[in-house]
Amino acid sequence: MEQSIFIVGINHRSAPVRVRERLAYSDADIPAALRRLREAAPAITEAALLSTCNRVELIAVATDPEKAADSTIAFLASDRDVEVATFADAIYRHAGLDAARHLFRVGASLDSMVVGEPQILGQLKSTYSLAAEAATVGPVLHRAFHKAFSVAKRVRKGTLIGHGSVSVSSAAVKLARQIFDTLSDKTVMLMGAGKMAELTARHLKAIGIQSLLIASRTFDRAVVLARELGGTAVPLDSYRPYLKMVDVLIGSLSLAKPILGPDDFEAVIKERRYRPMFLIDLGVPRNFDERLNAMENVYLYDIDDLGAVVMQTRGEREREAEKAEQIVALELESFARWLAGLDLVPTIKDIRYSIDRLRDVELERNRGWLSALEPAARERVELMTRSLTNKLMHRILSGLRRSGESAPDSAAAADLARQLLIDDLAAGHDEIEGTDDNDPEEELD
Amino acid sequence: MSPVFQTLILVCYGLSAIFFVADRLRHEARLVSIGVIALAAGAILHAFGIAAIGIDSGAFPVADFGETLSFLAWLTALAGLVMIVRSRMAVVGVFLAPAVTVAFAAASILRFQQLEQSRIVLPETLRSVWLPIHVTLAILGYAMFVLAASVSVVYLAYERRLKGKRALGPIEDGTPSLEKLDRINYQLLGWGFAMLSLAIITGAIWADATWGHFWSWEPVESWSLVIWILYAALIESRLTVGWRGRRAAALTIVVFTVLVGSFIGVNLMYPGKHGGNFG
Repeated sequence: MEQSIFIVGINHRSAPVRVRERLAYSDADIPAALRRLREAAPAITEAALLSTCNRVELIAVATDPEKAADSTIAFLASDRDVEVATFADAIYRHAGLDAARHLFRVGASLDSMVVGEPQILGQLKSTYSLAAEAATVGPVLHRAFHKAFSVAKRVRKGTLIGHGSVSVSSAAVKLARQIFDTLSDKTVMLMGAGKMAELTARHLKAIGIQSLLIASRTFDRAVVLARELGGTAVPLDSYRPYLKMVDVLIGSLSLAKPILGPDDFEAVIKERRYRPMFLIDLGVPRNFDERLNAMENVYLYDIDDLGAVVMQTRGEREREAEKAEQIVALELESFARWLAGLDLVPTIKDIRYSIDRLRDVELERNRGWLSALEPAARERVELMTRSLTNKLMHRILSGLRRSGESAPDSAAAADLARQLLIDDLAAGHDEIEGTDDNDPEEELD
Repeated sequence: MSPVFQTLILVCYGLSAIFFVADRLRHEARLVSIGVIALAAGAILHAFGIAAIGIDSGAFPVADFGETLSFLAWLTALAGLVMIVRSRMAVVGVFLAPAVTVAFAAASILRFQQLEQSRIVLPETLRSVWLPIHVTLAILGYAMFVLAASVSVVYLAYERRLKGKRALGPIEDGTPSLEKLDRINYQLLGWGFAMLSLAIITGAIWADATWGHFWSWEPVESWSLVIWILYAALIESRLTVGWRGRRAAALTIVVFTVLVGSFIGVNLMYPGKHGGNFG
């Protein structure tokens, strides 16, 4: 009987957060939930559960995906104690290659709220580990997930989908980096201590700016924030003398009209000997006169300019997403070949690895007396075991190749070979990597 | 240098120029690496070419304007490669590589014209240890000024985009900051100025030894002095009033244009002691 992969789920587009939160699982609950699912729906042979703030998806394998999907939905409702009717409309289903495509797209961050955001890959990796922990992973999910990881990696390397800034404060930081080379010798001044100004200051601190001045209408707030961020509080009515030492000025005061204009900067610029200044105006109405941008080596970005940078990034990411879709389509083809049993390469690789590992374990176990042998004798033992595994491998390979001429037989043979020879799929040789590619600067707002 | 060999070098330089420009238009990581490799290949072949001419004539290969220009193109390519690799500033290739290509192409044309007449032989009076020292310093100084102009062109383009709020394509994530471009521009000007000063001093000493006077106000000397004064003023303006950034970049390009004009004009119009026929 043909095993088919299927997915049922809801995400940020199909359901609002008040629905998603009711179906969400914490990582710690997931292995137990998967075991409960297996008991409730024995027809499901493999299963994994992806639960993030933007999506809850069950990725599973069964011979009749249509029926299995129904029982999965029923299970989710009872397990989370939610009426099916509350989320039935939001549920989407994928089966077969369609499901694989969905999984690849999710992993490559093409289905994310912010396309290209890097967290999802880490979340998918932990989804796989948790399913492995629950022992609900079999050959199909093993292959599908690792394919999804490699698709994600190819997309990240081959496209610019993860580049650019997707929030106002990270756009401000990227701009600062385009103006200044070294940041450790620069000074930031906050005028007004609003939330976004604070966030931007934190970002700038994180990339190496040392010196921070905070001027706020309420001096106490400035002092509190200065203590928290490691800066110096300045009374708002005496900030002017500091201007000449400020490289990045962030305004977020609520004012009726701009507090600083070209006249105020004429002398400052000369005193600074034309060193560049970056003015970030987060205020509405604006804090700085827009004519300041025309002054020499002064760069003024207001909230709309920063917003435009963010929008531009999103547009560029969407263009890059088209390239990524092509990569997904290509990888899907190779996955389909494997599913049809025509592509034996991954199976052969797994078997080879498994057998080599058996040999390594034996050699390791006998290391004590092996090391007591003469080097020449030790070499012979190594050679002998190597030749034994090679001969074994050769027989398996030619057997698989002979059966490979007709697709269903080949799939069955490959499956059998897997079952007999690959001892521990879950701890397969495709190492599950950490989430080191997360970008701390990128927050979702 | 045989015509085939010369064409090969020109193709390398031309390809690097095309790839550096294409990189700015298309932004694919591979394009710029191909540009760097093509530039390096051109420079290596070019080195052999220059050495061959030197061995062939038995003198330092700067006998006429064509050879001098070729030498300048080579040193510029070499210094540019060092800068691109050391400072990770492949963007400058977009100006640098076409400049090297044009200079080398012009040198090649001059060379073909020259081949029809008999080749100029360096007169005995100029065959001295001072020749390679004086000429290398001068040409190296000029190469630094080409690089400074390249950096300034990139600076102005970036600054325009930042001012125009069109900055920050995701492709530009790894590009150098304005501050870095400005600093490197200043360093290049400093090096170039130092080399030019030394070239003038060694030239004067050499002239004194050969002709008995330090300075004879012939066109190359006068124009060198003008260039020297202009660059001195450029550096001075930064040190005293702190002119940097946009203004410094724009002035660097203006002075460079004067340099190019005088270099070509003087060599073609007043072939004096320095020029084609060493009168």
